[in-house]
Amino acid sequence: MCKNMPPLELAIQFHGHICPGLLMGIRVAEFAQKQLGVTQDQDEELLAVVETNSCGVDAIQAILSCTFGKGNLIFKDYGKNVYTIASREKNRAVRIAQKFKDKPDADSLRYRQLNHKANLTDAEISEKESLLGVIFERIMSKPFDDLFNWQEIAFDFPEKAVIHPTIQCAICGEGVMEPRAIKTEQGYICPGCV
Amino acid sequence: MCEANVYVNRGGQDELLMESVDRVVPGEDNNIFMENIFGERRVIKARIKEMELVHHRIILEEIPEATMNPHLELWLEPTTDHGHFHPGEEVRLKLHKGYNMRPDVKAEYMNLQAYVVTDGVPQKVELHDHHGAMEIVLDQEVEGLVQVYVHEQGNQDLYATAVVEVGHHHHHGVKPAGLPLEIFPSDYGHARLGENYEIKVLKEGQALGGAEIKATYSSTQNKDYPHRLTTDAEGRARLFLTARGNYLFSVTNDKIITTFTLIKSF
Repeated sequence: MCKNMPPLELAIQFHGHICPGLLMGIRVAEFAQKQLGVTQDQDEELLAVVETNSCGVDAIQAILSCTFGKGNLIFKDYGKNVYTIASREKNRAVRIAQKFKDKPDADSLRYRQLNHKANLTDAEISEKESLLGVIFERIMSKPFDDLFNWQEIAFDFPEKAVIHPTIQCAICGEGVMEPRAIKTEQGYICPGCV
Repeated sequence: MCEANVYVNRGGQDELLMESVDRVVPGEDNNIFMENIFGERRVIKARIKEMELVHHRIILEEIPEATMNPHLELWLEPTTDHGHFHPGEEVRLKLHKGYNMRPDVKAEYMNLQAYVVTDGVPQKVELHDHHGAMEIVLDQEVEGLVQVYVHEQGNQDLYATAVVEVGHHHHHGVKPAGLPLEIFPSDYGHARLGENYEIKVLKEGQALGGAEIKATYSSTQNKDYPHRLTTDAEGRARLFLTARGNYLFSVTNDKIITTFTLIKSF
């Protein structure tokens, strides 16, 4: 690519489409960069702890480069739109939590209805597209504090991800990371063969 | 009458569209806006078929898109997927005729003329027929911001305009090409998703206030233009960009239809 892709585009390309959840994640990633004075991770200088596995996490991966594969994306399955972004170099971390709304606004409610409906009519396709535009502008234009609560927190940094040796499963013959293999009478076997 | 339920008549059956509606506003282009007491809102292309006030029922009839009979317009699209060309690269622009960035394959062209504008001076360039599609191929020497426009003379004068970036980091301004009706970026810069983009409409070089500009983008699934903007007294209108790819702006005035292709980097 001959030009650096803006963060918004990076996230959309990674996620595959534009949706409200992704846009919220983009706001989180961009805020964390600004607040911590960091850019994109190269080699685990940044760490993200995410308490959800919804769309917003893809923005964290694409923009901050805290990724599942690199091991600096830690997933806690709490079902909460809460993200903690930490910088080893700055020894700082910020915890960002989406504000709770007991009732979504009318546009979001309608968008969700249409998003879950199969076989939309032409009018509904048009309406859904227009609603997404309205929601998009609202999410990207609102003051950050209207959308999220945040605070800098003390953070206990874990060790960087370790590369473990691979051993062969005694049943399927495939390689398996040593700590994941289970010792049996047949030898070491992978979790898939248990 | 207090609130009413709104139904749409499909295939002879009345299907419930929205309950407890307290506001129905017929708008332009056959749009009907409705809002209910729960704050839900909808827009549908339809006409009111019947209002049964005693029974609190409003029945709508959808208007098929095909009956809207849109006019044909010209527009230009670059043959690059990342918004600009590189110096020495072949700069190729495709000309389309259709509506809402959907080419009409049956459309015919007549009296086409294409120009490149350098420092306000138009220079004629050739249009080539490339496997049935019209194309402009610019010299490989061009660099910077290049203005291109195509004119088709007929019952309606059609203009298609675009500003093409060859090379990087060209943030200086470009001047209007001096067309009878022109859409022009207020301050040329890289258009970015998630930001506002401002354009200006000029008629014979003067700002045209109160003009309706239609705006669309290449990925729209709408059959009609998804955005309608109105210019202010200085001919300006702004659009928040929410779609990837190129945008097209279109304005009609006094039998002239002019489009401007906003070529986005991604």
